[in-house]
Parts: sequence; structure tokens; C-alpha cells
Amino acid sequence: MLKTPEWGMMIVLYFFFGGIAGGAYFTAAIADNVGGRRAARVALVGYLLSLPLVALCGLLLIADLGVPSRFLNMMRMLKFWDPMSLGAWAVGVFGLFSFVSSVMCFGPFEHLATLRRRIGLVGMLFGFFLASYTGVLLSATAQPFWSEARLMGALFLASGASTGMAAVSLILALTGDGPGHGLARVKHADRYSMIIELVMLALFLALLGSAAKPIVSGHFAPLFWGGLVALGLVVPLVLDFVGHGRKALGAVSAVLVLMGGFILRYVMVMSIQS
Amino acid sequence: MARTLAMFTDTSLCIGCRACQVACKQWNELGMEQPEWTGTYQNHAHFTDATFRLVRFIEAPGASPSGDLAWLLMSDVCKHCADAGCLDACPTGAIYRTEFGTVNINQDVCNGCRYCVSSCPFGVVSFNEHTGTARKCTFCNDRIHNGLGPACAKACPTESIQFGFRDELVAKAGKRVESLKAMGFKDAQLYGADQKGFLGGLNAFFLLLAKPSTYNLPENPKVPQRNVVVDSLLSIGSAVLVGLGALLAFRDRGKGDGGGHA
Repeated sequence: MLKTPEWGMMIVLYFFFGGIAGGAYFTAAIADNVGGRRAARVALVGYLLSLPLVALCGLLLIADLGVPSRFLNMMRMLKFWDPMSLGAWAVGVFGLFSFVSSVMCFGPFEHLATLRRRIGLVGMLFGFFLASYTGVLLSATAQPFWSEARLMGALFLASGASTGMAAVSLILALTGDGPGHGLARVKHADRYSMIIELVMLALFLALLGSAAKPIVSGHFAPLFWGGLVALGLVVPLVLDFVGHGRKALGAVSAVLVLMGGFILRYVMVMSIQS
Repeated sequence: MARTLAMFTDTSLCIGCRACQVACKQWNELGMEQPEWTGTYQNHAHFTDATFRLVRFIEAPGASPSGDLAWLLMSDVCKHCADAGCLDACPTGAIYRTEFGTVNINQDVCNGCRYCVSSCPFGVVSFNEHTGTARKCTFCNDRIHNGLGPACAKACPTESIQFGFRDELVAKAGKRVESLKAMGFKDAQLYGADQKGFLGGLNAFFLLLAKPSTYNLPENPKVPQRNVVVDSLLSIGSAVLVGLGALLAFRDRGKGDGGGHA
């Protein structure tokens, strides 16, 4: 009887990139504010990574519309109780923060570092919003499973943080860490995020009980248990703990976390629509 | 706001002729669709972007007054809920409430995000691939603004679909339930007539001869947006945890590289 919205890969990718963008920006803002000079490169990479990703997010959202040329109609109103309305605004506002923070990392603005840090603290809130509202959006529908999942937003947020940190760590590992060992700190923070995500996921399943059926059994179960829980969370955590900071293992673990983040959104969005 | 208008569909009077379905198609210039085999006379299986009125043919074992198989007929339509999930979900304002209490989609404003499709508790709102917009019953918005009733109600030969002021129709419907019960239809009941009931009451409400689930209707549909506050608070909790983790990891401890294991 119920109709699904037929959201496909573009929306899954949007959820995924939105999570990374929010997570990377938040990591950058924290690193910028409390990390001191050692974490300067973390801040730079985080801010700069969030910018193209949020731009891509906007494009994906527009391309998925039935009438893309009417995307500005979203700006006709702001509904505080409507995740879709708030989300459309948040992409725009977060994009602005991302742009300003990125620009302020360079040459002529370097003496304004204090201002940049303050801006980062505010923009971080929008980053959190971008990473988590997509989960709340799914739960504020009439669909079974989505509407019964109380921790969808909380889970997406933890996943956004872990994938954002994984992406930043991967870029640091590939382009050179620079002085100060910021990479080790991002990995350290990512471990916390992954542990929080695992706990959230366990609570998420426990609260859902039998309503979790679309993901824990059937067609999507191998992807959920194998791709997300095992390869996307447990294995990278183990790799990080036993790897003792070895760069190659760290990079492998980051790639796995990113893959897990994508699978999380894919499974959540697609399982009840197919 | 003008006095609330309503449609009352008395399923006990429906003969399954589908005049309503055809009249709706004609008046609203809805396109032809490929028929589909549903196992009964019903066509289509669900509402579509070109089927806003849909006569359901339901075979329900044991649901007749004598305990035999009941052949239930129901002309289904958008419920025009007082608390409408689609309206709350719409980020463009394309979905609006008219002065008569009905819910309509402005086709010139809708940009096809499809959030309303997922937010309708009854699976009414449908996406049209050609226009790229969401479509549903308009309560014949053009007709009611010109003193005419909806095309489906006009076409119904048995007055199974009645159109009028909501309060008058609810009173009438209540009496009809009583007389049906006296006739032995013990499960006769109204669906969505009560404004204190689910979704603030439906402006297109029904008289059913069996319990709602027999008709594939939800027993107690809820407004989807009820989850927003709790889920947002839980997300904020998650943000605090993740934020604390990052603070711990990045805080300058003044010695070593600070990046060792926790």
C-alpha cells in the first residue's frame, strides 16, 4: 500500500558525501581549535576536502529532482519541523562556511587565524547537521523500518565523523603527513568515532528488534553484516589497534571505513525500496 | 477558512461500477495506462500518477454478516488528512491546504523531490515521470471553486460517494452505521470521521463493513514528522560523543606526538 520515494544511487551518494563533508569539516574545526600547530595540516585538509564534497552534494540533490530547474523552489520557505526543508538550507549554509574556512587557510588571511577558528566552531554545527539530518529525514516518513529506527540520525552522524576522519587520514597518508604527526591524531580520533558508531549500531538494532529485518536478514544481510559490520567497522578497528601506526595498514583501514560508510547508506536507503 | 468540505465514501453502497474512476480520469485529463492483472476486477493494484480514484475489490473470508466470504468494494481516494504528512514534508510549499480544508499540489511549484511520496501513510501521492512532479487527487479543486462537487461524487450512481459539508456528512454517516448494524453488519464502522482520532480526521472519510486492515488500510496511521524532535535530540547526543572523542584525540598534551593508543 505504501509508496517508496524511489530514491536511488544519487541519494545514497549524497548521503555518503554529505557525511564525509560534515565529518571532515568538524575534524578540521576541532584540530584547528585545540590541535595547535601540529594539527595545522589536518585543519587544512579537512576544510579543503569539505568544499568540493558539499558542492557535489548540491549537484547530486539537484540532479535527483523531478524538475531540476526548480531547485530554488526549496528556498521559498523554511520549515523547522521538516528535515527536507532544513536540509536544503543546510547544504547551502554549510557550503558557505566550507568556502570561507577554505579560503581563510591561505596567504592573505593567515593573520586572521583566530577568526577562522571561531568560524570553524560555528560551521562545525552545520557540518554535524549535514551528516545527521539525512537519517532523521528517513525516519520522518511513513515507511516501515525507516520510521521505526530511532537512531538513524545518530548513527549517520557517527558514521559521518568516522568516514570524514578516514578521508582526511587517507589524504594525509598519501600526500605526506607534514611535521607534527597530525595523521596519528586523526587516526586516534577516528578510532573513537568507529567505537561510537559500533555502539550506536548495536543500540540501533536492539531498539528496532524485529523491525530491523530488511537489513539483518534476507537480500541485504550479507552486505550489512559482511560489508558494514565486519569489513567496514571491526576489521579497520583491529587493523588500527594492531598496526602500531604503520602507514600502509592505516590507509587500508581508512579505505575500509569509507567503504563501510557507503554501504551503511546504501543498505538503509535501498533495503526497503527494492 | 470556509466551512470544511468533505467526501464521504459509503462502501456499503458501492457496486464496483468504477464510474468514479472513469469520471476522475476524464475530468482531470489523466493519461491512459496499461491495465494490469491483479487477480480480481481491480485495476490498478495501487494509486498511480494517473489514477486518483481507485475502486478496490476485496475478497474477505468470514467477513460477511453470515460468516461467509464477503466481497467488499471500496472506492478509495486521497484522504485529505487534517494533519497531512505530505503537506508537512513538502519543502517547496507546492503542497497546500485550500480554504475548504482539502490538500492540493501546485504543479507549477513542485520540483519532484518525492519526500511527500514517502510521507503519505496511505500510499496516495505518486510521482509522474513525464512532468517530474508529485500527483494526487485534487478534490477537483477547479470544480469545488465553481460550486460543483468532485467529478467522482457527481458520477456515482448509488451515492456511495457523497460530497458536502463535513459536519453534515459525519452526522449522516453516523446514522448510516447504526442502521447497518441493525441490519446485521456488526463490523460496520467509520474510518477517519473523528476529528479527535488519527491524523486529526480525514476530509475524505469512509464507512467500512469490516475492520480497516481488511481493506489494507492502516488501523492507526501516524504523522511521520512526529519522529523529528526525538531523533534530532538523539543525533545531538551522538554529536556530543563524537565531539568529545575528537577533543580527546586532538587536545595538546604538551609531550610526545600525542597520537599513541588510547
